[in-house]
Amino acid sequence: MSEIIEKRIGHYETLLREMWTASSKYLGTFSMNLLVERVVWEVSLEYKEIELLQYDQNGISCAKMAARLEENPDLPVEDMFMKFITRYVEILARLLGHERAEEIRKRLDEEFAGDLSASRGE
Amino acid sequence: MRCYLVHTNLLLSVPVRYWQDFQDTLARATNANIYIFDANGAPFSRFSLPAELCQEVNKGGKLHNEKCIDFYKLACGSLEEKDMLTCPYGLKLCAYRLGSHAQRIGYLMVAPSRHTTLVEREEEIAFITKAHNIYRTINEVFSAILEKNLLGLRRLELNSIYEISRLMTSIVELDRVLELITNSLIIIYQADLCFVGLREGDKIKVAQGKGVNGSQLIGKEWPLVHPLIERIFSKVEPSSLSIEELKVLPGFTGTEAAPGTEIMVYPLWTALGIVGLLGIAAPVSLGDSGSKNLQIYINFAAVALANATLIRRLEREAETDYLTGFLNRRVLRDVLAAELQRAARYGYHMSVIFMDIDDFKAYNDTFGHLAGDVVLQKTAELIKNSIRTTDIACRYGGEEFIIILPGTKGGDAAKVAERIRKSIETYPFPHRRITASLGVAQAKKNDSVDSLLARADQACYQAKERGKNHLCLDPS
Repeated sequence: MSEIIEKRIGHYETLLREMWTASSKYLGTFSMNLLVERVVWEVSLEYKEIELLQYDQNGISCAKMAARLEENPDLPVEDMFMKFITRYVEILARLLGHERAEEIRKRLDEEFAGDLSASRGE
Repeated sequence: MRCYLVHTNLLLSVPVRYWQDFQDTLARATNANIYIFDANGAPFSRFSLPAELCQEVNKGGKLHNEKCIDFYKLACGSLEEKDMLTCPYGLKLCAYRLGSHAQRIGYLMVAPSRHTTLVEREEEIAFITKAHNIYRTINEVFSAILEKNLLGLRRLELNSIYEISRLMTSIVELDRVLELITNSLIIIYQADLCFVGLREGDKIKVAQGKGVNGSQLIGKEWPLVHPLIERIFSKVEPSSLSIEELKVLPGFTGTEAAPGTEIMVYPLWTALGIVGLLGIAAPVSLGDSGSKNLQIYINFAAVALANATLIRRLEREAETDYLTGFLNRRVLRDVLAAELQRAARYGYHMSVIFMDIDDFKAYNDTFGHLAGDVVLQKTAELIKNSIRTTDIACRYGGEEFIIILPGTKGGDAAKVAERIRKSIETYPFPHRRITASLGVAQAKKNDSVDSLLARADQACYQAKERGKNHLCLDPS
């Protein structure tokens, strides 16, 4: 796996973990699991590899996905993660209200400059 | 503020880039141009073959020309099943509706690959046959994808119902049950709005609302005799309502729903009768199977809500004195401990008043317990009228009361105590005059519940020693 892809996966893993931590504070672990399961299913209709995302009450991990990328470096990771994040934030906004979801989005945006703004613009 | 329930077709999720490859291959194999619109009449795929005229007008196969856009919008909107159409630039094409009668997925347009007006009858028949074959292939592929998508959704629904049923029967806190129900429905069904109203006597009060403007519904009350609420509870099945019908209820005045949004209101029945109602606005129809799964979920929700409501009621009753409505001795210790902790943390004063009605036993023995109850009730009312809403009153024992005054120094608490003493002394109780003795103590650093109550009790004892109908402030 190229260093760049490895770095990108690591970057997204951190982003997803931040999202998980920020939202589980409001939603609780059960709703978080259900939300991620829902979004994984939806994104898997286009990108089967999203099912390699591991998540449980302890958090979220991209380890299996990173391993799969070694076999298939052409997997459009950026598009897949952006779709995941967009859908996730959309549902989150319904659950927490736009103001609080926007707060979370802004906080993440500051840490991961640009990624979420790009996903929002899709 | 106006809110809008957004419409999206989520049941059919097809990756466009993979689809375009398939469509283009099919178009090359059949030598016909193919173009697909989604259920709302918006372009889904591009023209498969570079039709000369369309390339010229629409640039690269995508619709850019206003005349074309208007034509296709109109054609999709009015298409029954299939039709032969002629575009504004004279191209003849076969149009088909994709999906079943129950569920419209989108529209298919098939056009000859080269510019022809199909004047020859044989040429036209050959083209129609070809177009029909393309339609059958594409419709079957779409149906298979739709079925696969739906199976995935059903699996997700069933897994969720299983997990939630486990959780809902074990959780007894009402707020957590409400949160769990509304969160789950928003997530599973991508609902735009979900709300739960609980029965409180002769009305339904919205206890939880999530989604578009859901939080603004919380606290709204709908009488059970309201015609719409009556209609909902007149049957066991859910009611399918339009947004116009819902607008007659407080909280929905400014709400709008996009076309295609399904609004269902479920009456929540259990063996105990009406528990409440649950409303859900989903962007697409759930279908028969989806509705059944949702109904299973709602049945669990009704039982969970009934359990949690009963437990909350029991807890409240266990905390409250039935005669005066004040907190009882059981919860006093917890409340006082919490207040002491808060006062220590934020560094503010706190005082307690210990009050005892003078010679109450003699009053009871002479005039009966019923008369004694009236004295207790009236005394509680006089106390309530003499304190702030932030102060906490508690019936400590038979004729003993404790009043907690957060943020109050001992001297100020003594003024409150004096106000209470006077109001009791001057109130025209039946049979004879009633008086009370009161002891006041201000919380000290490192005070415990016991030490504080003991000092207030001691001050009250001193007031009794001074001849009753007195108040004493703990000197320490």
